[in-house]
Amino acid sequence: MWRVIKSVLAAFFGVQKEARRREDFGRGDGRAFIVAGIVMGVVLVVLVALIAHLAAG
Amino acid sequence: MRTMLVWATGALALAGIPQAALANGWNMPVGVTDVSRDIYSLHMVIFWICVVIGVLVFGAMFYSLFRYRRSQGASAAQFHEHTTVEVIWTAIPLLILIGMALPATATLRTMYDASQADLDVMVTGQQWRWRYEYLGEEVAFTSNLGTPREQIAGGDEKGENYLLEVDEPLVLPVGQKVRLLMTSDDVVHSWWVPDLAVKQDAIPGFVNENWVRINEPGIYRGQCAELCGRDHGFMPVVVEAVEPEQFDQWLAQRKEAATQAAMGIDREWGLDELMTRGEKVYGSICASCHQPDGSGSPPTFPALAGNQAMLDERARHIDTVVNGVSGTAMPAFRSTLNPVEIAAVITWERNAWGNETGDIVQPSEIAEQLSE
Ligand SMILES: [Cu+2]
Repeated sequence: MWRVIKSVLAAFFGVQKEARRREDFGRGDGRAFIVAGIVMGVVLVVLVALIAHLAAG
Repeated sequence: MRTMLVWATGALALAGIPQAALANGWNMPVGVTDVSRDIYSLHMVIFWICVVIGVLVFGAMFYSLFRYRRSQGASAAQFHEHTTVEVIWTAIPLLILIGMALPATATLRTMYDASQADLDVMVTGQQWRWRYEYLGEEVAFTSNLGTPREQIAGGDEKGENYLLEVDEPLVLPVGQKVRLLMTSDDVVHSWWVPDLAVKQDAIPGFVNENWVRINEPGIYRGQCAELCGRDHGFMPVVVEAVEPEQFDQWLAQRKEAATQAAMGIDREWGLDELMTRGEKVYGSICASCHQPDGSGSPPTFPALAGNQAMLDERARHIDTVVNGVSGTAMPAFRSTLNPVEIAAVITWERNAWGNETGDIVQPSEIAEQLSE
């Protein structure tokens, strides 16, 4: 679980270690990454909206 | 030491660029509002950030190209990833972007806050002119291109403000927050005045808000900034910013002119319409003393029907109604009735009950007399 989150975060930032990438792709099942990606995408949007809301306060 | 000198000279030369560019009209104007100043300094700060990044990135690139060229025996390093470097070159732009976004957002927030305005002006784009309406003041007019056709199509020499001049500018008070409500009657236009840092689309069916608080009196020129048809280039914007006292004076004058125009003082009236109006005025104001049939109650209230002295002296008749007759029961109507009513009732008196002089007293004549 933590591994998946870290990989999604790395994807958000745009930098990932080659060794990690090989490991992730070696798991054979991408569903966990897709779900985590969608959920964390929503979290990111909500977070940005919240910060904007606070700043505009 | 020599390198430092070169750098210092370079920096000095670069620092002089904005001033030179401003003087040549290449840079955006500093403008005359706090917002326009904010925008200008944001523009300059971001410009210099871009210059520094550009110099560093391209400098490193050209230096590497030159220093490690193959003719000098350099061979390319073959490595595929370097996480630390990648993190650094992702994080630095991110921080720079955030650093630029903070002041930019603060300025945007100020720009979009059109609340608590001292004055509301409706700006309506029309093919191909602007219409300005001072809301709640009953003052409205259109602002048309002032450049003569002979300068555009003919051989006349072009003036200093060619295509940037209008017959009637938008007059605004300095130091006051003016809310501009933009819309259009036909197609999309855009109201743009660089010195005020306002470029706002005027869209049919929508009302866009913007605002200005001008710091310095002056004349500021702009143009329609959205291609809107054949005469798109012929609908300039001219804003005349004046001191508030002067603005109030101007507004009062325009209001006065507007009411006069609404009453019809500025036009020529016909006998029939003056008689219709005059009969009503006579009935409600004069008839109680001079009687509905003009017979009066002599000697206090003289008869008007067949009153030869009155009919012979038109000027004195007017003077009697306007100023009254001191020492008699005849009051002055100069402030009770408006010029149209006075003209109408005198016309009525000179043509009713067999007084068939055919005289017409124009409202404009009375207005002129009242303003003396
Ligand atoms: Cu236009």
